[in-house]
Amino acid sequence: MTENRSKKRNKKKTVSFFDYNLLFIIIFLIGFGLVMLYSTSSYTAQMKFDNSTYYLKKQVIAYMIGFVAMFVLIYVDYHVWEKIALWIYIASLFSVLVVLTPLGVSFNGARRWINVGIGTVQPAEIVKLGLIIFLSFCIDRIGKGLRKTGVYLKLMLFILIAVGMIFLITSNLSSAIIIFGIGFVMLFVASPKYSHYIYTVLAGVLCGGLFLLMETFVLKSFRLSRFNVWLNPEGYAQSGGFQVLQALYAIGSGGILGKGLGNSIQKLGFVPEAQNDMIFTIICEELGLIGALAVIALFVFMIWRFMIIANNAPDLFGAMLVVGVLAHISLQVVLNIAVVTNTIPNTGVTLPLISYGGTSVLFIMCELGLVLSVSRRIRYEE
Amino acid sequence: MLTFKTYNRKKTVIYSCVMVAMLVCLMFRLVYIMVYESEYLGRKADEIHERERYIKAARGDITDVNGNVIATNKTVCTISVIHSQIENPQKVIDLLSEKLSMDRTRVKELVEKVSVREKIKSNCPKSIGDEIREYNLSGVKVDEDYKRYYPYDDMASKVLGFTGADNQGIIGLEVQYEKYLKGKDGYLLTETDAGGIELENVAEKRVESVKGNTLRTGLDINIQMYAQQAAGKVYKMKKANYVSIIVMNVNNGEIKAMTNVPEYNLNSPYELTDEFMCEGEKEQDLLNRMWRNQCINDTYEPGSTFKVITATAGLETGAVKLSDTFSCPGYKMVEDRKIRCHKTTGHGSETFVQATMNSCNPVFIEVGLRVGVDRFYEYLGKLGILSKTGVDLPGEASVIIHKKENVGQVELATMSFGQSFQITPLQLLRAVSAVVNGGKLITPHFGVAVSDCEGKLIKQFDYKETGGVIRKETVDDMRYVLEKVVSEGGGKNAIVEGYNIGGKTATSQKLPRNSGKYISSFIGFAPASSPEVIAICIIDEPEGVYYGGTIAAPVIKELYENILPYMNIDKSY
Repeated sequence: MTENRSKKRNKKKTVSFFDYNLLFIIIFLIGFGLVMLYSTSSYTAQMKFDNSTYYLKKQVIAYMIGFVAMFVLIYVDYHVWEKIALWIYIASLFSVLVVLTPLGVSFNGARRWINVGIGTVQPAEIVKLGLIIFLSFCIDRIGKGLRKTGVYLKLMLFILIAVGMIFLITSNLSSAIIIFGIGFVMLFVASPKYSHYIYTVLAGVLCGGLFLLMETFVLKSFRLSRFNVWLNPEGYAQSGGFQVLQALYAIGSGGILGKGLGNSIQKLGFVPEAQNDMIFTIICEELGLIGALAVIALFVFMIWRFMIIANNAPDLFGAMLVVGVLAHISLQVVLNIAVVTNTIPNTGVTLPLISYGGTSVLFIMCELGLVLSVSRRIRYEE
Repeated sequence: MLTFKTYNRKKTVIYSCVMVAMLVCLMFRLVYIMVYESEYLGRKADEIHERERYIKAARGDITDVNGNVIATNKTVCTISVIHSQIENPQKVIDLLSEKLSMDRTRVKELVEKVSVREKIKSNCPKSIGDEIREYNLSGVKVDEDYKRYYPYDDMASKVLGFTGADNQGIIGLEVQYEKYLKGKDGYLLTETDAGGIELENVAEKRVESVKGNTLRTGLDINIQMYAQQAAGKVYKMKKANYVSIIVMNVNNGEIKAMTNVPEYNLNSPYELTDEFMCEGEKEQDLLNRMWRNQCINDTYEPGSTFKVITATAGLETGAVKLSDTFSCPGYKMVEDRKIRCHKTTGHGSETFVQATMNSCNPVFIEVGLRVGVDRFYEYLGKLGILSKTGVDLPGEASVIIHKKENVGQVELATMSFGQSFQITPLQLLRAVSAVVNGGKLITPHFGVAVSDCEGKLIKQFDYKETGGVIRKETVDDMRYVLEKVVSEGGGKNAIVEGYNIGGKTATSQKLPRNSGKYISSFIGFAPASSPEVIAICIIDEPEGVYYGGTIAAPVIKELYENILPYMNIDKSY
């Protein structure tokens, strides 16, 4: 018996792998996210739509579609996407342009969505996935050529096209930052060099500083107050500081053990749109420091799994896909938590897998499907 | 196919580590916010969640000396609607306009107004509030509230005063004893959502209100009613401007009754009474006049009743003895002035006792001049004429009198029979009390004690008394003389069958002297030999006969006929 089995193994020499750890975290976070979404949104949904499960239902539907998409992507060989990467990228950019057509939809004064009949879709989320696939494809083709400044700048140009479109057409600064971040991290990981990236960061810091100075002293615009609000939220409680202040009240009133699931008061309309960007504050209020740290720990664990999968991926294309998803999710988690704790100025970033948002859910599930698909190709010798 | 190189792996690890490091920093940030700032932020959050609803405290009662409640509270209802909660506006409008007997269009207007909470009517009787509540219409709120209620309507209105919209004292005893009467508001802390809707199932913090303390006054409702009746009668009969009566315990200053007719209804203090319905004057001025307590807020020239003080000063200083004889030619020359007696033909030869009975001006001028300015003022001071009485009511008027250094012979002469200066009726009453009670200057007062709403005594008020301002011999002389005034002199109309009454009448000409307007007054105490009660009656601008002895003395007589037996004062004969 024993002999037989070892023979069999020797014959194959390798075993296939599937990252059940990651899948478990994903499912756990989704389940947890749905519970928190219901807790956070039921009261306002009842008040607004006379239906306490309004948000929950839409989110569950999005996840159901998302799971289907994820499992399809897990079992489809990811190299398929390499072949049509350019088209995916072009299509994603095209979806941004659709916002300008009559199909574009505005919420709260921002035109960022397109109507697809059964609901609305946010092109920024499509672009994130499109860019990850397209850059992975480019990097796989170029390989060490990325060492050359010219090549680096050419790829940077592709990223900036997407960033520029999102920023200018949908005037969505936070998504533009995330997209730039994804692209930048992917290039950084792919390249053997460091200097390009240090220069880019320096240039970015310089531009950002100039931008802020210009706004502060010349335009005196909305982001100026956002900057002031960050420094002194209580001084602007009636204007821009309201959301941040309410977020801090929610987090602070949670204390170490929290008020208990369902017992948040800040979710009763005090924290505006708590189910979106601010859902982490309600987690803090209800589950306390313990719950909040546990959620962060789960994301740390997720980042670690991404890193393992990337570093063991069978080829560069697969690895870069995982790095892109790693960049996407980690950036959003860090920015979201930094914003709600008023560590950085307020900008609307959702918390992956937990915040409400159909498009975000769907495309993150696709990205996770890609990652798991890559993990399935990992071969390791016995 | 290219593979992931070592440097790729290294950089993936670098990036992952940076991200994890950032998350760890954020964890520390969370620890800071949720542990160190938690208390502050939690409190701030509670502040915006909590809504404090006041539970109004009932105001303390005011009772008379026997514990009869003369000011208390009545439960009333405030009816309001909450626009967003109304389901059936038509029904609400129908019900409210019917039950509150209000104009339909007005109610419709209020119900349809888009506001958080709209008050439809306040101060509704509790019965109507209960009826409306029984219909249980959503959006209609019935809140109970306390309203000050005075069971005796206009009794002692100018003494008690009334309260304002927030149940705070505005005038009278209500404001004087505000700190004792006012209760301690309770409150109800409830948590609300951002829209201000109260949450259910959240523990409420409730702090009950505490009713204010009960003030016991020295007023006696029976004596007050008798006084008010007697004053009302003469007020009507003589078509007077007003009639004031004060009845006081002569020995300790406890005021048993104080009335100024016309009184007004304390349950509707902002409605002008018929007497004050004048065209062309500002309503507020008229109201202020209606609320005025003339016994304390107004001064007048006391006239002959003041001769009690002059006589006391004369007897005390030895300037005059009861047996001294005088001659009255009908006038008295002082410096270059000829001051007339009211009897222009003169009283002829008379003793000091007779002169007092006759209320003879020339004799009292003589006595006053003999006493001299310094000693005269000394006794004014001793008898409390130069200072306020310190009565426990707001707005006591000050005496209007010559400065001592400006007083010449003429001024002294006129002051000797009660002219050329002004005092309040209460001041005169206090001064005469000191003369007849054995030389004790008392503080007239209403408030006696304060007890909590369960009847436990909290505070007994003490008032200043200065004994020995008059010698005993003088006291006896004055009691004797003033008894004579009533039994045989100008105060005959105040004789009460079975009692010895002491007193003095007065008829003062109002300024200007040729106006033909008078103030008739009488001050009397009983029993004359050992007084227990003193009363003063002042009739302002009577029509027809205006002599104090003729119209004011009978008022006190009638009053005493009623209250002396009531007070269990033994008959003397």
